Amino acid sequence: MFHKPDSALIIVGHGSTVNPDSSAPTFDHAEVLLRQKAFGEVHCAFWKEEPSLRQVLHMVDSEDVYIVPNFISEGYFTRTIIPRELELDGPLTHRNGRTLKYCEPVGNHARMSELLLKRAAEVAPGVPTKECSLLIVGHGTNLNDNSAFAAKREVDRIRDMGLYGEVFNTYMEEAPLVSEWDAYTTCPNVIVVPFFIADGLHSYQDIPVLLGIEQDTGLAASQRDIFRLNPYHLRGRTLYYASAIGTEPLFSDLILDQAALFDTQHSTSHPTA
Amino acid sequence: MKRNLTQALEHWIAEGIRSIGQISITPQPEGGFELRHLEDAGRDDLTLHTSALDARGLSFFDDAKAYRPLKTAPTLRHGWRLQVQTAQELRIALDYFYPAMTALWQSQLAGELRPVALRETLNRQTGMYAATKRLQDEEGQQLVGRHCAATSCTKRIMWEFAPGQPLTELSEQKRWPAPEGTHAIPLICQEACNHLVPACREVVKKRERAAG
Repeated sequence: MFHKPDSALIIVGHGSTVNPDSSAPTFDHAEVLLRQKAFGEVHCAFWKEEPSLRQVLHMVDSEDVYIVPNFISEGYFTRTIIPRELELDGPLTHRNGRTLKYCEPVGNHARMSELLLKRAAEVAPGVPTKECSLLIVGHGTNLNDNSAFAAKREVDRIRDMGLYGEVFNTYMEEAPLVSEWDAYTTCPNVIVVPFFIADGLHSYQDIPVLLGIEQDTGLAASQRDIFRLNPYHLRGRTLYYASAIGTEPLFSDLILDQAALFDTQHSTSHPTA
Repeated sequence: MKRNLTQALEHWIAEGIRSIGQISITPQPEGGFELRHLEDAGRDDLTLHTSALDARGLSFFDDAKAYRPLKTAPTLRHGWRLQVQTAQELRIALDYFYPAMTALWQSQLAGELRPVALRETLNRQTGMYAATKRLQDEEGQQLVGRHCAATSCTKRIMWEFAPGQPLTELSEQKRWPAPEGTHAIPLICQEACNHLVPACREVVKKRERAAG
């Protein structure tokens, strides 16, 4: 068990100035890890919310600090924004008596496929998987965004397992489009899992409109009285729409793993007898 | 040397600190602390919360249930009181209500807080915010005065527009330092936030669009 009572963990999320649910999973995972006491202290930091990346290091007592990006993939944020705003020198930064350990994003974790399958099974219980098309929705488009690459990697892994009738990548703004889901799927049941960190603007408000299960983007998840109820019967199929993969509670385990992985890869851990 | 914000918080309260932003901090006779909205001082109909983690939900929405993306906006909801047992829990609760604010005050007291001029913040932007490097002095000064007004954000600004170039449009309530003797933890803005930077971009883009 990874136990670092003299270290701090900072989980970095994107956050949003518009959607109150964007940061929720990051805070949720932080609270789980706080209760587990795996670290002496646990903090969150955000690009678009508070505490900001420029503020968070002031909040840390410890001299040994693990920084885990709660991002679905490597990309502009993990390679440019976070290192720049935290003034990191690389994976390992020594500054003002502190050691800052910049870990890999959560989305890189090898168990991501397992979590996607778990989520798909939960949203459509009892539905024979061989009669299901499984769609993993990514963002796509952004030149610096590797989320499409990461989503493809996950789809390849899941497809190779041969559990589902068919497995596809789909995107909001590039082909194959999520809005045309009924054109390229052939199974009677279609399960859609958003490959996103939060049920924020994209996965809670935009994608349901693209799928055709909502008429307009409506309010944020936390500001609605009634949550969605699966399944949806439309376009001659039965559609199941899952919450964003980043809301999966097991994500907190993955965050912990990424910190442990850092020590393995950088040999900074010197266990005492 | 390892910091200890929890101990610092305890020390400040022992020395007489009783509020932060819109929140009163009251040490309880039996130990622990009670937080509530300053304007709810005399009310006995408040909903009691006893988990520091409840502060997250209380801080996220205003009285009209609108999202509060800026926690130092003067829009903290009313109608609650939060009792916590320890200084550690108090720290967690205050980090939700006013993220990083107790920590920045600790850094300021220790002489470790470096204000960053707006130009410096804008000049390191990349991607869609690289346009903010083209912000002109006059439009920037006007924007800060408007965007960062005390009616929108209650932090006091430490930074200059550019090194040696002070901000010109700030009201007294927005200027650092905070008046002494208020028994309040001051809310510090040591660097332009991620609300102001996009606003700078909008000003630049609007001017450039108008110019064709």
